[in-house]
Amino acid sequence: MSSTLSNNAMTSLKRSLAADPFASNISSKVYVRSTKSGKVQKIVRELYLRQDIPCSSKLCTSCLKTAPRDASGVLAPLVLSAKPAGTKKYKQGHYLVPDTNALLNALDLFEQTAAFYDVIILQTVLEELRNRSLPLYNRLIGLTKSEEKRFYVFFNDFRLETYVVRDPGESINDRNDRAVRRAVKWYGEHLTEAVKAAGGNSKSVPAVVMLSDDKENLTKAKRDGIDATSLKEYVGGLENADQLLDMISVVKEGRELRDARSAEALYAEYFSVSKMMTGVKNGTLHQGIFNVSPYNYLEGSIKVPAFDKSLIVLGRENINRAVHGDVVVVEVLPKDQWKEPSTKIIEEESMNRDENADADEGEAVVTEKERKALQEEVKKMHSKSSEGKPQPTAKVVGVVKRNWRQYVGHVDESSVSQSAKENRKQQTVFLIPMDKKIPKIRVRTRQAGEIIGKRVLVTIDSWDRDSRHPVGHFVRSLGDLETKGAETEALLLEYDVQYRPFPKAVLDCLPAEGHDWIVPPSTDDPGWKDRKDLRHLDICSIDPIGCQDIDDALHARPLPNGNFEVGVHIADVSHFVKPNNAMDAEASIRGTTVYLVDKRIDMLPMLLGTDLCSLKPYVERYAFSAIWEITPDAEIVKSDFTKSVIKSREAFSYEAAQIRVDDETQQDELTTNIRILLMLSKKFKQKRMDAGALSLSSPEVRVEMESETSDPIDVKTKKHLATMSLVEEFMLLANTSVAAKIYEAFPQTAMLRRHGAPPKTNFEELANQLKVKRGCELKVSSSKELADSLDACVDPQEPFFNTLVRVMATRCMMSAEYFCSGTQAYPEFRHYGLASEIYTHFTSPIRRYADLVAHRQLAAAINYEALHPAVRSKGKLEAVCKNINVRHRNAQQAGRASIEYYVGQALKGRIVEEEGFVMKIFSNGFVVFVPRFGIESLIRLRDLADPEPESVFDAENYVLRTSGNREVEVELFEKVVVRISDVLEEKTGKRKVKLELVGKGSK
Amino acid sequence: MPLDTSTYSLALLRLDGRRWNELRRLTAQISTQASADGSSFLSMGNTKVICTVTGPSEVKAAPGASGRGDEAVVSVEISVAGFSGVERKRRGKGDKRIYEMQTTIATAFQATLFTHLYPRSTITISLHILSLDGSLLATCLNASTLALIDAGVPMRDYICATTAGSTSSYSSNDEKADPLLDLNGSEELELPFLTVATCGTEDEVSVLVMETRVQVGRLEGMLAVGVDGCKQVRDILDVVVRARGKRILEGSQL
Repeated sequence: MSSTLSNNAMTSLKRSLAADPFASNISSKVYVRSTKSGKVQKIVRELYLRQDIPCSSKLCTSCLKTAPRDASGVLAPLVLSAKPAGTKKYKQGHYLVPDTNALLNALDLFEQTAAFYDVIILQTVLEELRNRSLPLYNRLIGLTKSEEKRFYVFFNDFRLETYVVRDPGESINDRNDRAVRRAVKWYGEHLTEAVKAAGGNSKSVPAVVMLSDDKENLTKAKRDGIDATSLKEYVGGLENADQLLDMISVVKEGRELRDARSAEALYAEYFSVSKMMTGVKNGTLHQGIFNVSPYNYLEGSIKVPAFDKSLIVLGRENINRAVHGDVVVVEVLPKDQWKEPSTKIIEEESMNRDENADADEGEAVVTEKERKALQEEVKKMHSKSSEGKPQPTAKVVGVVKRNWRQYVGHVDESSVSQSAKENRKQQTVFLIPMDKKIPKIRVRTRQAGEIIGKRVLVTIDSWDRDSRHPVGHFVRSLGDLETKGAETEALLLEYDVQYRPFPKAVLDCLPAEGHDWIVPPSTDDPGWKDRKDLRHLDICSIDPIGCQDIDDALHARPLPNGNFEVGVHIADVSHFVKPNNAMDAEASIRGTTVYLVDKRIDMLPMLLGTDLCSLKPYVERYAFSAIWEITPDAEIVKSDFTKSVIKSREAFSYEAAQIRVDDETQQDELTTNIRILLMLSKKFKQKRMDAGALSLSSPEVRVEMESETSDPIDVKTKKHLATMSLVEEFMLLANTSVAAKIYEAFPQTAMLRRHGAPPKTNFEELANQLKVKRGCELKVSSSKELADSLDACVDPQEPFFNTLVRVMATRCMMSAEYFCSGTQAYPEFRHYGLASEIYTHFTSPIRRYADLVAHRQLAAAINYEALHPAVRSKGKLEAVCKNINVRHRNAQQAGRASIEYYVGQALKGRIVEEEGFVMKIFSNGFVVFVPRFGIESLIRLRDLADPEPESVFDAENYVLRTSGNREVEVELFEKVVVRISDVLEEKTGKRKVKLELVGKGSK
Repeated sequence: MPLDTSTYSLALLRLDGRRWNELRRLTAQISTQASADGSSFLSMGNTKVICTVTGPSEVKAAPGASGRGDEAVVSVEISVAGFSGVERKRRGKGDKRIYEMQTTIATAFQATLFTHLYPRSTITISLHILSLDGSLLATCLNASTLALIDAGVPMRDYICATTAGSTSSYSSNDEKADPLLDLNGSEELELPFLTVATCGTEDEVSVLVMETRVQVGRLEGMLAVGVDGCKQVRDILDVVVRARGKRILEGSQL
């Protein structure tokens, strides 16, 4: 058919459509879609039906004759095996044809290696899946590309025999189901014929089995005489049924049960999509990302473009099944329901610990206890003077996009019935996610007994109106709680860090010489083309102790005219990682190297990161150099960028460099050069500070490990050395100069980094707290003013107070982000924290992908090489930016979580008394920050004494007074002494530090 | 919503079920309007165009308008019907894209028609676009050829046009990319493509327009497929013209 289609001569000019020789082969698809603006469009598409779409079974010879070839004449290989695996029911072997629901509910299953081979994915199903869930669609496409899984995509809607026209009055779903059944039937007949033609036994024809969870579809299939089975039934017939059964999402089953009982809905129904869209468009509804408060799981906030301040969403009914991170649409509540943000800590665990996972009957959305907690809130609100400003509240009326991912957690032991621990009865248990912002998930499993005390991975499948908690299914177990392996993997999964070893395709991109690679000795080698020979310079690197991936090295020397020449030399990673090969793709997905306490997850393979790219001392390395001429007053006279070859003289640690500089007797070249750098860096820093750069603070600690067992033994706070700011200043200088250079060369597509000015409202609370408690005024109209007013926030008796304020101010900031220059106006490029007009990341290409992109752009800007199209396309760069922004944030969080875990481990079994500061205060507890260990933790009233003491909370003055069996008065910023011990937190299954209040003042 | 062009590699099938080297259904009629000097109706898939030719006729009294007195001037007018696209939209006269297409078509025929036979006259080609689904310029060129033949304007040979694209967009880095023939509207939105027209059977390219970016390495394949497509179009047009000629000879229709 294909060949005749275009060559067929037209015989008649004026003919009715019926006489058209193609009429039977051409159909058109007409459908209606509505656009974002609410317009309805009618789309007409042609469909060319054909008979040369192969069945792709190795049993069939007839399809091979007409099988398609691509433009270079290559035949697409056949996918489905001639001897597919059999099951109890289909002994002769079988091909699977899942329908859309089967894939939606249990794609995890299809990714298993134990079963699910030889699967036919129909075009109809693929299209439907794409509409329903893009991530699942992408995963499925990944599966079809895997050779061993043998997934074949059959374009049934293009094949004449399997094309189905939608009947009048038939719903699109029914039409699609019918198309699936037609395709299954055709496959069956086709294979029988094929086997017959080959002279085979008709009994050996593999069965073609439709997998569906739709009852009606199954019944109709039976009527049509097609092999069809539900997922559950099918998996039940497999060998490792128990394991696999758990992975079937419970959605379908649950619904059937509920239908029978006509359960009442607990939550309000979501608005229809068009209603939400119209609402958002004309401003009555608002769209934004839903965030849950870390202290109160019943309070969420949502930042919408229409208002400066976030809207508050209070209570289960208003949150209406939104989960942290979802994109939701909210409606503002009437003014009489406006409230102050909660001053109370509410934790799900302590509220609903006795809930029964299995019980559905008589369940209310809001439990009595929760209701009481909220009532008290309201009462407090009303009793207060008019001073307390209620904030606008809102309720969720619909979810635009779920951002559900896989969650790491552990099974709530109390929800598992004793008897089930022994036998393998299926039961429902609660799974408590590690992330406190995620509600507990109801999971049906047969393995409850086995997964108690394990770290497990689950996904949320759905959250129906009639279920109080989301329903999910168990994916796999990571190992026992509190074992290093399981906890590290949990952390990596939770923050979506790609930690699998590099695949072969990536390793194939490495230089063939491996560790023996050297800079070519002959300067005629193509590697030397346009490279400056800087081997004669006294270059050295300064890094933290034990650093293996040395990104940067420095040099300085006096010039005859009294100025200085300063060079920053960055590892030339772009020489090894060429755009668009497998290694580049992998690095762009990883985005950054992730540093955990005991582990480093590299962005690039070890060979590059720690050897070939790393600017190790005493060996020649390729580098990308930025060289400036600088006056003694730190004015830049001239700057120059070039690819180069360098030989680092020495790799110092910060400490070693510091000692060398301080030692007056050291007068060698290298040391004097470092002194020049130090002198200049101080001037640069002063200039930055004068321009309004902020010096912010975040609690940083280092965990000391025992060298052999790598068990944590102690926690140290990081010391700051002058050599650290030396390196920092020159890296900032390099980054800023490079940013300006690549922006000049590529105004539309330069890879830059910006830090938005925080909205004033972010500082409102902190400013008020400072004013009330310390009489300091925080000015936030510019970074300069903020920097100055932060400097003024000092307490003569308490030197740490200033740092504490800086820590708190840091949390009010926006986060910096990568962006592509064409997407923002120039004034938006500003880096608020550094008070720089333009900024990028250039200096750490080994561990950050953004730097690698900047390297390529700079190389093109200095005409070293042509810019690869992928680095020039705005769309592509935007996608890269979006990804690395997320990766960067995740990497930071993972790093912090890792430190937190190890601090907990280091303190295991020890009891220490330390000084701390009150950082945040609630009506039933307060948060204490302990600088010595960089930890902050909550002390609840009920931790103070048992029973919980009575308390009065003065929200205006941030004072909490307790009376009764323990009398304490705690106020904000106050110095307290706490006893630190460790406790296994039941809620998250993490070992966490627990603080107890000992007294006030110093130790 | 249907799948997008990235699924081509799964089974070597395009969005509408065609293979890489297949044209859409091309139908053509000649002499559709008795009142015009020459007319045609041509559709490539869902792109439908009516063409009428007026002339050669005397230049109207506007002497400054064209400076050439020794040969005929080809002028092209394109009007896009408001209902031709998905959304009802009026296109003004000043649309730059339309203006560019007019110029492209005029230049192409200026070189192929024997204009020296008609000094001080104009040949006006009016194109009415009824429905839009990709390959618009190509469809217009083909329709004009037929209408000009119907009008009896002598010309060297048929100008036949198609579009050719590549299955991989400019910035995505698939190593393998097949060239595609005759793109429809949704393919044109996603993929790089060019419009090519040939004159006669000797692969003589008379129009080549490309507005999207593509890797240079893929250009040759695209051109080859496009030129081959032009040949197929020529065969189809030729059948239409001959059938018309036969009928005239028989005297059944004059």
